[in-house]
Amino acid sequence: MKSKSEIVEVKALPFAAGFNWSTGFQMQRFIQELANRKILGAKCPECGYTYVPPRSRCGKCYTKIGEENLINLSGKGTLVGYTTAYVKLDGQGNFQDLEEPGIIGAIKLENADSTIFMPLEGIKPRDVTEGLKVEVQWREETKGELADIRCFKPT
Amino acid sequence: MRRNVAIIGCGQTKHSSKRRDVNLAEMVSEAVYNALEDAQVSPRDVDAFVVGNMQGFGGIAQPEQWLGDSIGAPGKSVIRIATGGTTGGSVGQGAYYTVASGLHDVAVAVAWEKHSDSKEAGATTGLLHVGLGNFFHAASYGLSLKNLVATSAVGAAAGVAVYQAMFYMYRSGCSIEHFDMVAAKARRNAAKNKYAHLQWPGCTQEDIAKTEMVVYPFRYGHICPASDGASAIVVAEENLARKKARQPAWFKGLAAYSDEENQLQSENFGGVGVLDPSEQKGCWMSATKAYEMAGIKDPKKEIDIAEVYQPFPSQELIFAERLGLFDEGTAWMALEKGETDIDGRMPLDPSGGVNATNAIGSTALQRILECALQIMGKAEEHQVPRKVHNAVAHGWGGVTSYITVTVLGDSPGR
Repeated sequence: MKSKSEIVEVKALPFAAGFNWSTGFQMQRFIQELANRKILGAKCPECGYTYVPPRSRCGKCYTKIGEENLINLSGKGTLVGYTTAYVKLDGQGNFQDLEEPGIIGAIKLENADSTIFMPLEGIKPRDVTEGLKVEVQWREETKGELADIRCFKPT
Repeated sequence: MRRNVAIIGCGQTKHSSKRRDVNLAEMVSEAVYNALEDAQVSPRDVDAFVVGNMQGFGGIAQPEQWLGDSIGAPGKSVIRIATGGTTGGSVGQGAYYTVASGLHDVAVAVAWEKHSDSKEAGATTGLLHVGLGNFFHAASYGLSLKNLVATSAVGAAAGVAVYQAMFYMYRSGCSIEHFDMVAAKARRNAAKNKYAHLQWPGCTQEDIAKTEMVVYPFRYGHICPASDGASAIVVAEENLARKKARQPAWFKGLAAYSDEENQLQSENFGGVGVLDPSEQKGCWMSATKAYEMAGIKDPKKEIDIAEVYQPFPSQELIFAERLGLFDEGTAWMALEKGETDIDGRMPLDPSGGVNATNAIGSTALQRILECALQIMGKAEEHQVPRKVHNAVAHGWGGVTSYITVTVLGDSPGR
């Protein structure tokens, strides 16, 4: 047990660190196209591996992937893995019980090779199985933001 | 028994204030693939990556985790090193260890900084971020956090270097005009280096002297920029090096030392650490050890060029002396005579150095890279006019007391 004199208490910091990351040209296109309810993938011109979200260099064969290698994906896919969450953080460092358990799925979109992780709605946790066919659900008004993809639902 | 190791390829990005067109991974991959192309090595032939930037800078805690795919690192050995401002020097030396040990035959060392990913100007956010780690520790000694931030983080490295410069001026008899001369030379040299940031063809001492005083003895024109950019070198064992490069740049000697001359123990704590922050004993120790390993007995005669870590012009003079290239307190006299110009007797920072280009995490690797270019004869417009047999690359950082010294040569030397 520490005595009080050994503890320096810091109540507030005299500064805040803010960041402003650039996304790169592929990710920028991806985000912009969400406004048009389109999901873009990047298909490696050499080995054909398709990344979603898109990127500019193939991690498999080191080939450069350009804007011309972006392809439209259907928004349909297959659940390859999932988990169910029962609690959330309340922003104060505490857990809070969720009213309804939330499912988070690893989804492989048609014609893509990488997976994306998104909330899965419209199904009870006990009914979820790998191999489930799912489809993207857009939010009402799409603005060209990551949040435009609301969740996925079984087809 | 360590193996002979050489640099066989160099790659950089163009340095500028803002690279908003690329994300961090894309920017770093530019340097890596430029280096691989220069070395004529396929990414498949690379066994290991040693990578790094300033800890906490750019707001990404583990950048190597997400840029690995973009530089061809999957399935390869990856080590990230972060030693503050010296990071690039440690990254370059790390690649040497990787290959000299016999563990791997080809390693890529890459280092970077992307200041524009921070919201505040220049390196402020990054330094505050690093500051957090160090200052909580300092606060436990009973120092006011606010004062600490004000004296060292906001003053950035300048907050340290001003005291260092004042001590050096007093000790050596040099004046602020000599700092004008160093800064003008850095910008002139940078104008000949297509990758450099602050390029000012024909910049004169008078041009710099006209800029406003920021914190005595530094004028605005004395202070380095905050740059976005990356640098990479390809390091290989002897057989491959001889096959791939017409003139490899051989690692001959290296060392890294620190002493108690520490920001948190000197001026911010009322000078309990050392009395003279321009003493920089860590540099003297590193140089002595690196020259010994390289078989260099008289650096004044045997070293042909030096890339000195000089975000502030006073540091080119201080460290050139600590590297044994000039007698104590005399570097400014050599500067006056033009001996440190590109075509001088002992060219210092022919690339323009950190004073002209400052992507912090990569700056000390750039010193090694620039020495390699001079030895390989690939420095193009800023190539020094005579054959370079031995070159010394220096890095300064940590919490202002950690030094790397790397000696490169045109033969393995043993």
